[in-house]
Amino acid sequence: MQKTADVAIIGGGISGLSIAFQLAQAGVGNIAIIEKNFLGSGATGRCGAGIRMQWGTELNCLLSKYSCEFYEQAHEIFHNDIDIEFEQGGYLIGAGTDEELEQFKQNIKLQNKLGIESVFLSPEEAGEIVPHLDIRQIKGATFCHRDGHLNPFRTVEAYAEAAKSLGVSIYEYTEVRDILRDGNKLKGVRTDKGDINAPVVVNAAGGYSGLIADMASVDLPVYSQRHQIMATEPVEPMQEPMFMGFSLNIYIQQVPHGSFIMGRSDDSEPTDLRLTSSWHFLEEMSRTCTRLMPRLGQLKIVRQWAGLYNMTADAQPIYDEAPELPSFYHAAGFSGHGFMLAPVTGHVIAKRILGEKPDIDVSSLNVSRFKEGGLLPTESSVV
Amino acid sequence: MDSNRILEHPILEFTEGEDLPFSFDGRQLVGKSGDTIASALHAAGVRVLGHHFKTGRPRGFYCAIGNCSSCLMIVNGVPNVRVCVEPLQAGMVVCSQNDRGVLP
Repeated sequence: MQKTADVAIIGGGISGLSIAFQLAQAGVGNIAIIEKNFLGSGATGRCGAGIRMQWGTELNCLLSKYSCEFYEQAHEIFHNDIDIEFEQGGYLIGAGTDEELEQFKQNIKLQNKLGIESVFLSPEEAGEIVPHLDIRQIKGATFCHRDGHLNPFRTVEAYAEAAKSLGVSIYEYTEVRDILRDGNKLKGVRTDKGDINAPVVVNAAGGYSGLIADMASVDLPVYSQRHQIMATEPVEPMQEPMFMGFSLNIYIQQVPHGSFIMGRSDDSEPTDLRLTSSWHFLEEMSRTCTRLMPRLGQLKIVRQWAGLYNMTADAQPIYDEAPELPSFYHAAGFSGHGFMLAPVTGHVIAKRILGEKPDIDVSSLNVSRFKEGGLLPTESSVV
Repeated sequence: MDSNRILEHPILEFTEGEDLPFSFDGRQLVGKSGDTIASALHAAGVRVLGHHFKTGRPRGFYCAIGNCSSCLMIVNGVPNVRVCVEPLQAGMVVCSQNDRGVLP
């Protein structure tokens, strides 16, 4: 293994890969990604891999718009033949309450102002897009046809191949054991395969970013919570968009293979890094799904699995340099949206490292906001 | 007694059941009570139960314990029925499945 790097990135998930790719594209020469398992083995390969531009705050709209436009052009940007299966079937977001309906009307105004082509729909119009939806369960809906979902494994592969072709080194099955510092000066990382001296280190460890911050003795106010997904047997295509509801507590899509995959949130999920599957989820998810989409009750469930949401207090990411340790950067706390934000994560972190101005001002996503009472406005559009 | 019927098995015992008529792709066939759909089809000499949705290759009776998904068929309009573990009933309409299945 190499002894030195210009930038050491901890975490070979979609965020770390995107940061490495953007840095390499900007001409940074010696970049090492250190991944304790295999690429995409954490939350990246376990997530729903949806991307939507329909958000309730301006910043989230802008961040996701950047990412969506990146994924639309990924083929040209990566210069490889890997199909990331970006299916832009749209996101249909159902309102479960009158209050949510009013919020959605505000969201549409904001989104349209920012150039996001979302529309407001009646329950009947929503039912034309997803015919197996029981429209009596929704008060209305919003739809954006450019939203969609990707294959997370293919996207990882495409990013990794593109990064490697630009000279990025990737070390899989290599675990970071310590962050090397001399007082307030960052020296590098210690791994189970040896030390890498690096003047710049990025913490992109997803669900494990808190552990990495602890190794560096810097404060990162995040915690990880288990979220589960289940998948059904495949059937012929019958649902084009991702359907999502916040008060309805569901996201459900039919992947190109034909399986439906779906998830929901549950406050009782553990926060101790466990990745087990639960009966409770199986039952609650089935109930949530079949109440909204009774026809899907005929489908057999073939799999379920779990991944970690790396949460912050305002459910929005942290893009910052650690105040206690210059040149140690956080790209963490994605709160369930790391996959869709990955392209913009790479952009803003690379720009920050290079001392340049990013296309989107993300200074409000600093790590100090939690101490200073500067939490961002609550984003209600989350599952 | 049709010659394709499985009569001897190391563990299971088969008793002579009553006739159960059913249809397979429009053909009228007769199975026995105690049959699964797959065992009745096998006894009637049917070896191809459907075709793979992508490759078009024939698919047949394979694991016989509801595990392998090789025997998925459309039964009374319901797709993806694992016929190796589905008991045969009189009057069942059984069809070959050549796609991933369309939910009724």
